[in-house]
Amino acid sequence: MKFTKRNASRRQVLKGGAAVAGALATPHFFVKNAWAQGECATLGNFPVEGPEVVFGFSVPKTGAYADEGADELRAQELAVEHINNGGGILNTLQPLSLTGQGVLGKKVTYVSGDDQTNPDATRQVARRMIERDGVIMFNGGSSSATAVAAQSLAQELGVVFMNGLTHANETTGKDRRRYGFRQFFNTHMTGLALGPVLAENYGTDRAAFHLTADYNWGHSMSGSIKDATEGEGWSTINRVSTPLGATDYSQFLTAFLNSDADVLVLNHYGNDMVNSVTQAVQFGVRDMQKNGRQVELVVPLYSRLMAQGAGDNIEGVFGTTNWNWSLDNPGAKAFVDSFTDKYGFPPSQAAHTCYVQVILYADACERAGTFYAPEVIRALEGHEYEGDGYNSASLYRAEDHQSFHDVFLVRGKSASERASEFDLLQIVSEVPRSTVEYPVDTFEGELGDYCPTA
Amino acid sequence: MDPNALFLQLLTGLQLGAIYALIALGLTLIFGTLGFVNFAHGALYVIAIYAAVTVAANTNFLLAIILVPALLFAIGVAFERGLIRHFYTRPHTDQILITFGLAIVVEELMKWIFGANNIPFTLPEWGSGLMVFYSDWSAVPAVPVFQEAPSLWVPFIEGFVTYQFWRVVLIAVSLVTVAGLFALLQFTRFGLVVRAGMRDPEMLRFLGINIAQKFAIVVGLGAAIAGIAGVFGGPITQVTPGVGMALLVPSFLVVVIGGMGSLSGALIAAILIGMALSFSAEIANLQQIVVYLIAVVVLLVRPRGLFGKKGVFE
Repeated sequence: MKFTKRNASRRQVLKGGAAVAGALATPHFFVKNAWAQGECATLGNFPVEGPEVVFGFSVPKTGAYADEGADELRAQELAVEHINNGGGILNTLQPLSLTGQGVLGKKVTYVSGDDQTNPDATRQVARRMIERDGVIMFNGGSSSATAVAAQSLAQELGVVFMNGLTHANETTGKDRRRYGFRQFFNTHMTGLALGPVLAENYGTDRAAFHLTADYNWGHSMSGSIKDATEGEGWSTINRVSTPLGATDYSQFLTAFLNSDADVLVLNHYGNDMVNSVTQAVQFGVRDMQKNGRQVELVVPLYSRLMAQGAGDNIEGVFGTTNWNWSLDNPGAKAFVDSFTDKYGFPPSQAAHTCYVQVILYADACERAGTFYAPEVIRALEGHEYEGDGYNSASLYRAEDHQSFHDVFLVRGKSASERASEFDLLQIVSEVPRSTVEYPVDTFEGELGDYCPTA
Repeated sequence: MDPNALFLQLLTGLQLGAIYALIALGLTLIFGTLGFVNFAHGALYVIAIYAAVTVAANTNFLLAIILVPALLFAIGVAFERGLIRHFYTRPHTDQILITFGLAIVVEELMKWIFGANNIPFTLPEWGSGLMVFYSDWSAVPAVPVFQEAPSLWVPFIEGFVTYQFWRVVLIAVSLVTVAGLFALLQFTRFGLVVRAGMRDPEMLRFLGINIAQKFAIVVGLGAAIAGIAGVFGGPITQVTPGVGMALLVPSFLVVVIGGMGSLSGALIAAILIGMALSFSAEIANLQQIVVYLIAVVVLLVRPRGLFGKKGVFE
C-alpha cells in the first residue's frame, strides 16, 4: 500500500521538476545579487551572455542634424574598431585598461538607430535597442532635448547613456541622471570662456540683443551669455525667441536694427545658425555702426559643420567649441589620423565627443571588471584621464557627471586664411579647464539611484 | 512709433509675404484650375533651390534665372502627365497623401545627393549689398557703401534707412509674377480656355479643345513659379532639404486664408501674414501662433477665405 502511495502522479512529477529547476536557477540569481551587494533587483541587460557585447548608437540620420549624426556614427564605428583591434586613442589615453581586444574578453558589436532629433523618436529607438537588441550602453544624439529624454529612459531601464552632442546646462544640471554622462561642455562653460574675451575685444559697455532658438538649449545658451556678459558690464536689451527651423529671420533682424543694441548674439545651432548668421550678414549688420561703434556678431556655439554651411559669413565671428580637429596633441592626432585614414576627411566635434564617450565607457567596464552598471558608473565618477584629444587632463565630476576639460575660443577664418575646405575655425585661445570649472551647486539637480528607478 | 522703425517693419512684412506669395501662387493656381491639392509644391521649391545654387555656383546667376524656371516647368509637366492626372477624380485625401509622400521622397533624395548640411548660396555681385531709402539725401553718410547703393526717395521717414537690396528685389519679383500670371489667365486665349476648362471640362472636350495639354501646362506654370521662388528665395531661405516643408504649411494657410483658387486672395493673404509676422517679432508666444490665429479668425468670419469663390472646395 505504501508502495502505491509513493507512485507519483504526472502532476507531482511536473511540480517536482519545476521545484528542481527553480532550485538550480536560484543560485544563479543569488550569485548575481550577492555579487552586486544586493543592490539592484533587476538591471538593464546585465549579465552579458555569449562572446559578444552590443553597444547602441542612437544618432539623427534624418532631420536638421543628419550631417552631425552621420559623423557621429562614423566615429562610433571607429571607436568599436579600436576597442576590438586597438589603435586611435587607445595609444594615448591614460590611464587605460583596454587592451584592444574587446571589453572583458568580449568582442564589441553595435546596432544603430535614427533619433530624428525628436525626443519621442529617441525614446522609441533607445527602447528598441535595449529591449530587442540587448544593448549594454547607448550613445549619440545632437540635441539637448533628445539628450534629456534619453537620460531619463536610461535611468528607468538601467542602461548607461553616454551623451553625444548636448550643450544645455540641464543635461548635467536640473536633468542630470545617474545613468547619463556628458563629455561635451555646456552653455555655462561657454559663457565663462567667452565673456572675458568679448569684453576685451568689444569693450565693457556694450548693449546686446539675443536671438534664441526656442527650446531648452537656446534658452540655456542665452541665459549663460546674458550672465557672463552682464558680469563684464554689458547690458542686455532684449532676448527674442525664434521658432526652431525658421527659414527667414528678417522680422527678428529688423527688431534688432530698430533697437539700441550694438551686439547681436545668435543663440542658434545647425541650420538655424547658418540661416540667421547668413541673413544677418546679408542685412549689413556687420557693416553697421550703432551708438557710434561697430556692430558685432557673436555665435556662442560653433561647429565646423555649421561653419561649412555658413561659408564666408562667419569671418571674424567669435564663438566656442568643445574640440577641433586642428588641435596639436597626441590624442587629437591619433583620433584625427585614424578617422581621416578611414573616411578621407577630418572629424567634427560631434564625432569626437561620441568617439571618446564610447571608449571611456568601454574602459570603465574594463577597470570595473564588470558590465554591471552601478560598478561601471562608479568607475566613471571622479575619473581623471588624459590623451583623449586635449592638451591637458580631463575629469568626469562625480556629483553631476559633467566632464571638465579645456574648451576653445574660436573665430571664423576668412576665405584667404583657409588651408582646406575643412579649415574654417581659427583657435584664438585655449581656455584652461580651471577657468570653466564651476561649483557643482551652480545648478540644482539630483542624479538619482545607482539602481534603475522607473 | 518711430517712423523709420515702422517703415522697416512694413518692408519686412512685405518681403516675408513675397516669398509666401510666390509659393502659394503655384499652389492656388493648380488648385483653382484643376481642383488638385498639391502638397508636393514645397518639394518643387526644394528642387528649384538646389538647381539654382548648382547652376549659379558653376556658371552665373543670370543663367539660373532663365534655366531653373524652365527646368521646373518641364518637371511640372512630367509630374502632371506621370502622376497627377491619375488622381483628378480621386478624393482630395488621396491627392494629399500621394503628393505628401512624394515631398518626403524628394526631401530625402536631396539629402542623399547633397547632404543635410546647408549649401551656402552666395548672392550675385549685382544683388548684394544694401539699398538706401531716404527722405533727405544729405543725411546719408558719404561712404561708398551707402553712396553707391541703389536708393529710393520715401516720404515720412527721418533721414534715411537701409535694407538688404536682395529682399527688395524679391518683393518686386513677387509682384511682377503675380501680375504676369493674372494677365495670362484673364487676358489671353489660353487663360480663357483654362478658366472654361475649370468650369466644365466635358463641354470643352466636345468643342474639340485638348484639355489635357492645357492642364499639363497649368501644372508646369505652377512649378515654374516655384522655380522663380527658388532662384530668388534660395539665397534668403538657404539651401537645405527641409526648407520645402517649412514653407509649405504657411503657404498652404495663405491659400486657405486668401480663398482656395484665388490669385488676388493669395497675394493679399500672403502680405497679411507677412505683416503679422513682422509686427509680432518681439512677442515670441504670439509670433508662433499668429498665422494660425489669422486663419481661424478669417475662416470663422468668411468660411470660403477672403476671396474664395462659391462652389470651390465646398
